[in-house]
Amino acid sequence: MDTPKVSIHDLKLWYGESEALHGINVAFSEKKVTALIGPSGCGKSTLLRCLNRMNDRIPECHIEGKVLLDGDDIYAPEVDVVQLRTHIGMVFQKPNPFPKSIYENVAYAPRIHGLAKNGPDMDELVETALRKASIWKEVKDKLQSPGTALSGGQQQRLCIARTIAVKPNVILMDEPCSALDPIATAKIEELMDELKQEFTIIMVTHSMQQAARISDHTAFFYMGNLIEFGETGTIFTQPEKQQTEDYITGRFG
Amino acid sequence: MSLHINPQMKRRYAAEKRFKAYAITALTLAGAFLIFFFADMISKGFPALQQAEILVDVHYNDTSKQNYKKAVDKPLRRIVSRGYLRTLPLYMEDHPELMGTNESRWVLATADVDQYLKGKPHRLKSKYQKQIDELLKAEKVRLAFNTGFFTRGDSKMAELAGIRSAVIGSIYVLFLTMIFALPIGVMTAVYLEEFAPDNRLTQVIEVNINNLAAIPSILFGLLGLAIFINFFGAPRSSALAGGLTLALMTLPIVIITTRAALQAVPDSIREAAFGLGASRWQTVWHHVLPLAMPGILTGSIIGLAQAMGETAPLLIVGMMAYVPDAPGNILEAATVLPAQIYTWAGESIRAYEERTAAAILVLLSVLLSLNTMAVYLRKHFEKRW
Repeated sequence: MDTPKVSIHDLKLWYGESEALHGINVAFSEKKVTALIGPSGCGKSTLLRCLNRMNDRIPECHIEGKVLLDGDDIYAPEVDVVQLRTHIGMVFQKPNPFPKSIYENVAYAPRIHGLAKNGPDMDELVETALRKASIWKEVKDKLQSPGTALSGGQQQRLCIARTIAVKPNVILMDEPCSALDPIATAKIEELMDELKQEFTIIMVTHSMQQAARISDHTAFFYMGNLIEFGETGTIFTQPEKQQTEDYITGRFG
Repeated sequence: MSLHINPQMKRRYAAEKRFKAYAITALTLAGAFLIFFFADMISKGFPALQQAEILVDVHYNDTSKQNYKKAVDKPLRRIVSRGYLRTLPLYMEDHPELMGTNESRWVLATADVDQYLKGKPHRLKSKYQKQIDELLKAEKVRLAFNTGFFTRGDSKMAELAGIRSAVIGSIYVLFLTMIFALPIGVMTAVYLEEFAPDNRLTQVIEVNINNLAAIPSILFGLLGLAIFINFFGAPRSSALAGGLTLALMTLPIVIITTRAALQAVPDSIREAAFGLGASRWQTVWHHVLPLAMPGILTGSIIGLAQAMGETAPLLIVGMMAYVPDAPGNILEAATVLPAQIYTWAGESIRAYEERTAAAILVLLSVLLSLNTMAVYLRKHFEKRW
């Protein structure tokens, strides 16, 4: 196993009275793609949202356990959530560009974090981010047109560009392709393959094929428990647990 | 499967037609009332745009300066507006070079002459009727555009009464209402919607705000009287007291519409901003508020339009008063358009009737343009995502 970038230790999570995650232990390797799979309601999205403390927004949500980023607990009292989210970016299920120009979508976060000054520096940063998200060629002539006017797949790549413009270490992706057609999906998958040169990617997906195609590691969740975790090849060909095999082969879920 | 119309389908179509007919009837009725109302107001108010004037020789000299009645020849004194003649000495003081000269000019006639010319009920004696008829033949009487209606304040002489003081009072009051109600209302809504935790306290506050919006407006007048006038000592009948009172009344409306506008902003936008490491305030200020702006503007304008047409609370703070001079600042006695309409509607002299209708037309057109502006702003600033 490579060095873990993010590791989770005995993480328990409650929504009010109901326990949604029952003590999860898992470690995500640096510069790899890890896929979280499992049936709906198994807690994989909840877990993903624990990693950048997006669950803080839900008042009745309560968490126990530790999540370490490079060995530091992100739930420690002295941690600033706003700072944390510049290290761990997130791409959402439905493309959600701001109703502003393409340029502004990418430039917004670097500006509020003071990563670049408006002008040539910012132009360069925006171009780099858009190039890395392989959408530069499609939008370079219409940077001032609204981001919401792009197609769904382009919008999602714009959202990825927006996320990597902050230069995070980890990118969380919550079913990034579920709202996209197969061609747009293929482009995003190709992109993820390039992005893992630079970023640690943790992705929730409902598509077994997608997990098999692009992830290095796979974690299978069921009813708030981590059932099995390992190399994607192993999980899909020789799963240790019966539940995993049943799910992967489509016998339930 | 049968593709022919069967009895059950027939019943369904009949029910559909019936329902449509009800809806159209209701709409037609509402439209008819509206048209009737407008036609009535326009036909009654339109004559007020014209006012009778008489061409007379005005004598500027020391005698007429002492006794304004002597400025015109005796037979004309009963048909020329006394209120108008009363202004002549002051005019002479301002223009000493005119002293000792005569000038032939159009001067305001009395309200009775005006009404007689317009063929309305009047109390003009037959002697003067004949005089007017003769003057009419000599083209020395005319109905001219009534600029005085817009440039003069209220008066106990109908021919002199205008809406200027009421309009200026309305502008002061509305301005004060706006600068108090909008910032407080919008910030309250932003706090409740975006920052406040959902607990017992905020729930109590929410219920109370919704209740306030449904409270009869006259109670706000009592509250305004108790707080602003009795406790803080704001001058009675002043635009300040009225504006603050109406601000109290408009606050709940602004808060409720702003909250609705904020709720309509999709949560995905907030998530996107939070996910990029924007703070709560940055998320609200950079993303949520701009998207909610059209809704906030619309709600605020409609709230202000309602405040503008409001009379009951102003009755309590003393703005339903005879105010002939336009207020010079927010502490002076002022009245507002709806209050002016109310005062005129209660006058026994018939000549006020058309002025009442004309003032209603002015108020209606202002309200109509405010509402049109609200619709335009919403359409113009609406963003799609």
